[in-house]
Formats: sequence, structure tokens, C-alpha cells
Amino acid sequence: MKLKSTIGVASTLAVLVGAMIVWYTVTAATGWVSPARFPHPAETWQSFVAIATNGYGNGKLHQHVLNSLKLVAMGFGVAVLVGVPLGLLMGYSRKAEALLNPAFLLLRPIPPLAWIPLAIVWLGLEDASKVLVIFVAAFVPSVINSYAGVRQIEAPILEAADMLGIRGLTFVREVLVPGSLPSIFTGLRLSLQASWTTLVAAELIGALYGLGSILNQAAQDIYPAMILVAMIFVGLCGASTTWLLGELERRAMPWRRQWGAQ
Amino acid sequence: MSEITFTNVSRSFERDGNMFLAVDSVSLTVRDREFVAIVGPSGCGKTTCMRMAAGLEFPTAGQVTVSGKEVISPGPDRAVVFQQFALFPWKTVSENIDFGLRAKGLDEAERRRIVEHNIALMNLRGYETAFPHQLSGGMQQRVAIARAYALDPDVLLMDEPFGALDAQTRVVMQEELVKLARLNPRTVLFITHAVDEAVYLADRVVIMTSRPGKIKEILDVKAVRDAENWDQHSRIEDVMDLASFVHLRTRIWKSLREEHAGDDH
Amino acid sequence: MTTRTVRSFKPSWRETTIGTAAFFGVWYFVALIGIAPAKFFPMPHEVLAKLFALTHTQFAGATLQMHLLSSLHRYAMGFLLAIVIGLPLGLLMGRFRWLDVVVTPLFDALRFIAPVAWVPFAALWFGTGIGGPTLIIFAGAFPPILINAYRGARGVDPRYLEAASMLGIGSFKTITDVLFPAAIPSIIAGLRVGAGLGWMSLVGAELIAANRGVGYLIVKGQSAVDTPIVMAGMIAIGAVGVVIDVVLRKLEKHLLRHRKS
Repeated sequence: MKLKSTIGVASTLAVLVGAMIVWYTVTAATGWVSPARFPHPAETWQSFVAIATNGYGNGKLHQHVLNSLKLVAMGFGVAVLVGVPLGLLMGYSRKAEALLNPAFLLLRPIPPLAWIPLAIVWLGLEDASKVLVIFVAAFVPSVINSYAGVRQIEAPILEAADMLGIRGLTFVREVLVPGSLPSIFTGLRLSLQASWTTLVAAELIGALYGLGSILNQAAQDIYPAMILVAMIFVGLCGASTTWLLGELERRAMPWRRQWGAQ
Repeated sequence: MSEITFTNVSRSFERDGNMFLAVDSVSLTVRDREFVAIVGPSGCGKTTCMRMAAGLEFPTAGQVTVSGKEVISPGPDRAVVFQQFALFPWKTVSENIDFGLRAKGLDEAERRRIVEHNIALMNLRGYETAFPHQLSGGMQQRVAIARAYALDPDVLLMDEPFGALDAQTRVVMQEELVKLARLNPRTVLFITHAVDEAVYLADRVVIMTSRPGKIKEILDVKAVRDAENWDQHSRIEDVMDLASFVHLRTRIWKSLREEHAGDDH
Repeated sequence: MTTRTVRSFKPSWRETTIGTAAFFGVWYFVALIGIAPAKFFPMPHEVLAKLFALTHTQFAGATLQMHLLSSLHRYAMGFLLAIVIGLPLGLLMGRFRWLDVVVTPLFDALRFIAPVAWVPFAALWFGTGIGGPTLIIFAGAFPPILINAYRGARGVDPRYLEAASMLGIGSFKTITDVLFPAAIPSIIAGLRVGAGLGWMSLVGAELIAANRGVGYLIVKGQSAVDTPIVMAGMIAIGAVGVVIDVVLRKLEKHLLRHRKS
């Protein structure tokens, strides 16, 4: 197991180094790919340094990144805080399900990105409209997976809770929520992914700050190296927040760890 | 006095638009501190009977009472041991046993005493902080039984509790349950399709037939057990070797087989 | 008699009707109390009227059907490309360890880049007509298709492969005749997820850079501050998404008709 993972890391590194060499070869060394279409590694590095120290668009890299993170955190956060309890309620109460599910069936097929123009009509190009579309994007998977989570709790578990006389808040906190947690986290992961996609699209359409705004500016300036830098940071932000969520998931469900961890 | 009484109980289900009768006018009394096992082919409604006593399902006709009160909902006075254990995967062994005690509102010292007592009783020492998925099936069912006993219920309802266990574990659990039942007798309704198990554990064995689920006959095992002094043997295989045991078992088998013969199509 | 035990539940017609009525009721209510000017919050029947009007009057240079057709054209190209590349690659990665080792790190490195982030490069490389949006749709649909084909191939019972090699079936034949059919359930699941993400990415691409298509339609509706057009476009987009999913579900049913659920 140990050995295998070491080999895994080594081969991953080898492949990534190989990819860098190929990148260097086809752009800088041979010029097969024109710099107007895809930047050299060196150029990309210079663009990164430039945006990090002097800024590009309307700010330095960290300002853009923080602004994007802030919008995602707000939209995603509100979606989760509202969506998860709502999903749990729909999963648990037949009345709530009957009342609310048709609305979801009607709204769910509309891709979150299609809400962007409506959000702009309603709230303009400000941060509020971006938070709204991120909220819409993150809300649906949060609700649906929490709802599915309740439905996935095995009937005997609920019967056992009933038999033991578990009621009210204790039931919600110690049976309903932990029982739905695996599915809730699946929903959160999808929500997070949708949040980033929506944020980038919304910022591409119009924003002063943010990773999408760098992309937009660089596209207009025909500045491939900066496009690439922005894309890399879109990927890094998505990956790191997903990793964070994974850590949270692991901590939130200690019972899913193996015996050896004890 | 903790009695379970079924008075003319019927239960029908709707399936694909057709009503079918799962339990047909069952009348039965499980007396105070009596261990009654119901055996029968799958689909004969024996589990439905147990679930009606638990308050997890309700009769469409007739009445089920426990300790003289009509059963209207599940509750800790009627502890259930489920076939699939039904432990809370996110709670440790101790927390699982403690959960029902907390709902009862007992104070902490009392709860700790009861949890420790039941952990010792079911040989679960050393596993207090383990999560259910880290335990074998047999160990999980011990936790479920400890959880049920900890509630100090009027009656215990067991739905094929050893059905999901392997043969060896099953034997050990049966022996322990007999010890527990003799040491600390309760009113028990035990559902099984294993004839051996029913004869070994129960005071009376109820034979049910399927389609519709009806009581065919009731055998008094306790009279034979006491007369032949089965309890002097601590091992199940020694009991199963006794002529009186074999005789009873064969009798039940024959009774069940008549049903199956009529069932061939 | 509060039992929590009844889990499986199909809503009755009555309940569905009540729920649907509640949805539209809330919509009308919000529109009528006038939190927002009517211009920004039209009533459902106004949106439906606009949806109908768009089918025979041109907006943003075309009728609704023409916009849809244009979107579907790009969508079909991007989605097919994702299938043509993602499906065999996923299967081969599941079969050949070395390919897995090479592709997985690259794939992981690109996976977290939101598909719409490819818009600038797509426009730079292929323009905003057909090629650019096609790449975006590809970027959306490709990852789930690849991952699911890969998982499907990895999940194949090794006994089938052993039986195949024992019978002397060649490598290529093993993939087409053993691996592929065994991986179909997983592949279809990937196609459905990929189809949804691809459709969403198409809308994103058309919002940002296009001169025709449903995404372009709603952007133009936004510039004209014509909320009914935006909403009508959203409905059309949602409806096409549903149709695509229904078609794939039919296909799934057809392909899996011999299996037990």
C-alpha cells in the first residue's frame, strides 16, 4: 500500500514533468504552436509575476482571487444554509414534499448559467447578481441531495429510533442529519462545483474584479499568457475548496473511517 | 403483568391494486415472562404479527394489546431486535445502547451503570468505543440485544434476530439468549423460520401457515423441557440430541411440510 | 399513530396539482403585490405568451426555433466529440494500466477548471461561430463521460476478461465485445451527466460569445431589459434539457432491457 502510493506519486510527477517538457517543446523550443495561440511557459510565468505584483485588470491577483472566493462563499453558504434544511424537510415530511417538489421539478432543468441574464436584469452587474446566480446554482443540488439522503436512511434505522422513543430535536440532530450526511456531502460537492462554474461565467459576462474578469480582460487584450494564468487559478481555487470540503466531510463522519484509525 | 394479546387480528395489504390478506384472524396470548416463538414459511405473516405488537404496523381488524393497553405507536416499553440489527452507524457501541436511555430521561450515573451492565452481560467489553461497521455481524446483534435489554422493556420483540448470522455465531448467540432468558425472564415474542431455534429457545412454539397467515397449532415446549430437564445441558448440540427434542422438532417439521405440500404448484 | 415507517411514496395527482398550483400561485402573488415593477417580474401567462410569440416573430436575428436549431447543432457536435474521444479513452484507461498512469494526472490537473473558463481560448482558437462553442460543450461533457467509461471498465468482473483471454479473443475484440457491453450501465450514467453539463456549458458559451442560439437570445433579452423574453428563453432551455435527458433515458432502457435492475 505504502509502496504503491509512492509509485503513484512518482509516476504522477513524471507525467506532469513530461507534460511541461512537451509544452516547452511545442511552444518555445520549436515554435510549432504560435505564441498568439498558446503562451510559452516563460511568458506564462512572467504574466503570473506581473499580475501578482503590479496587477492586471482592476487589481492584483490576490484581490481578484479573494473577490471570487468571497462571492462563492456567500452564494454557496446561503444556498447550503437554506437548501440542506429544506431538503431534509422535504425528505421527512410528505406534506412538504408534495407542496415543494413540483417547484423543483419545474426549476431544476434550467441550467444555473441561464439564470445569469435574469439576475443581471434584476440586480445589475453588481456583486449581488453574482451571489444570486451562485445561490441558484448551489441551491438545487443541496436540496435534492439532502432530500435523497433522508430517503436513503434505511427503514429499520428509523423504526429503531421510533422504538427507542427518540423525538423532536434529538431525532433531527442525531438520526436524520447523520443518516443523510453522506448524501448531503455529495450534494455539497456538486453545489461547490456549480458555484465555481457559475461564478466564472458571471464574471466573464461583466465584473470589475475576479478570476472571470481577468479572463474577460485578457481575451479582449488577446493576451494568451494571462488567459492561462487565470485558468490555472480557476482550477486551483476549485481544487482547493473541493479539498477543504473533503476534509470537512472526513471529520464530520468519523464513523466511516476504518478500525485501524482508532 | 406484561402480556401480549392478539384478539382476532387480521391485516391486509394492497399490492398491484389487489388486496391480499397477510394475517387472518390470529388470536394469541403471550403470557407474562413467557417466551413464545412463531415459526412458519416466509410470507406467512409472522413478522407482520411482531410488527403489530411493536406498533410499526396496525391491524385492519381486531386488536393487539400489550400489558392491557392497545398498541398505537412504537415505544421503549416494547423493545425490538431487528433482523438487520438497525444500529445507528454513526454512534459507538456505548452510544447506541445509551440512546434509548437518554430518551427516557434517566440521569447520567444511572445510564452509565445500565450501559456498563449490559455491555458486560453481552460480552462487549473492550468494544465500547467501536462503531457498528467495525464489528462482525454477531457482535452487532449483541449490541442490538444489549440496547433492547437496557431499556428494561415490558416485552421483547425479536424478528429473526439471528437470521443474518453465520451458523457458528448463531449457535453461540442462541446459547447466550437461553442463559439470558432463564436468568432474567421477560415476555418475549420471537420470530424465526428455523425450527431448531424455536424449539431450543421457546416455551411455546406457534406454527403459522401462509396465504393467508393463520395459526395452525401451538405446541407446549416448556412442559417437555421441564419434564426432560433440558436445562441441565449447557450446550445446544447436547439438547438437540435428546430424543424429546428430536421428536418435537420432527413434529413441527411435519406440520410445516403439510403446508408446503399443499402449496406446490 | 405517528409512524415514520412509510418511506416509498409516489405523489398522487392531487398532491402534484396542489404543489404545482402553489408554485404558480406564489409566482402570481409576487408579481401582483408589486415588490418589483411588472417589467422585471412578469406573470406566468405573459411569459408563455412571449414564448409563443417568439416562435413566429424574430428576436436577436431569428425565431426561437432557429435559435434552438443553431444551439442544438453546436451541442450535437460538442457532445459527439466528447463521446468519440471520452468513451474509448475511458475504456482503454480502464484496460491498460500505463494509459491510466499517463492520462489520470493530466486529467486531474484540468478537471477543476470550470468549462466556461475555456471560452477565451476557445474563441481564440476556433472563433465564436461553431468551433468555439463546440469546444466549451466538449469541456463540459467530456469529464463525466471519460470517468464513467473508466469506472465501468474497471468495474468489469475480471472473470469475463479471463474467460475472454482463455477463449483466445484478441485485445481489440475484448474491448468491443466484453468491456464495452459490461460497462454500459456506467457509460450511460456518464452520458446523462455529460449531456446535462454539456448543455449548461453551451448556454454559458452562448451567453459570452455567440451571434445566434438560445443563450444569445436571453442575453439579448437582458440587454433589451425584456424580462419575459429572458424567462421564455430559460423555459426553452430547460425544456430542451429535459428532452435530451428523456431521450438518453429511453436509450438506457433500451440498452439495458436484458438486465435485471
